[in-house]
Amino acid sequence: MPTQIVLDHSGDTRHEFDAADLEALAKAEQRFKKLTGKGFTAATRMGPGEVAVVRVFAPTAQETLFYPRLVGG
Amino acid sequence: MLLFGARRPMGSRLQTLRELYASFIGENSPEARGRHLLRAWLSPIQLAQFDEHRYFDVVGCDTAKRYRINYGTAANVHELDGAGTPRVGWCFAPSARLVPGDVMLAQKIALETNENAVLAVANEFPPRMPFNR
Repeated sequence: MPTQIVLDHSGDTRHEFDAADLEALAKAEQRFKKLTGKGFTAATRMGPGEVAVVRVFAPTAQETLFYPRLVGG
Repeated sequence: MLLFGARRPMGSRLQTLRELYASFIGENSPEARGRHLLRAWLSPIQLAQFDEHRYFDVVGCDTAKRYRINYGTAANVHELDGAGTPRVGWCFAPSARLVPGDVMLAQKIALETNENAVLAVANEFPPRMPFNR
């Protein structure tokens, strides 16, 4: 089942959704837009260790990871 | 059965329960969850490096330079020269407070997909010596 993984203080928070459920899909897309709108980067795994940043919601991606904006330390 | 077998004295049972609880908490702590997630997203080579040394190397997508991401949340990224020696340190991290595994995963993704942009916000620092190669 597709999962959105949001990195946070607890390690991560996971949101699974059924891509065939239109309501769940809309909610997942809304979450994607909300997080990326707040500056989170969304990324998916393309293969073992291979990652790609995604700019638009991909309903078929098995895992989409979100991390907060990066800043200089 | 194992925990509450009739022959186990009460103190021993409690000790076993304490150990199980500690193990459960340890494996489900934010730090452990972060490490688990990081391990799932590393390449086989990076994973082997991480398991052995608690660091892994990535190749920047824009310059093909090699970076070493050490276990930690700050000042933990070093750019390596051709000999594998740290040339310069780069300090950048997610703006929210995250556990080390999560920070390292974000740093890996950033360097592998958007190297120049992340270095534009990062701060340089001199590499510490001696450094694990």
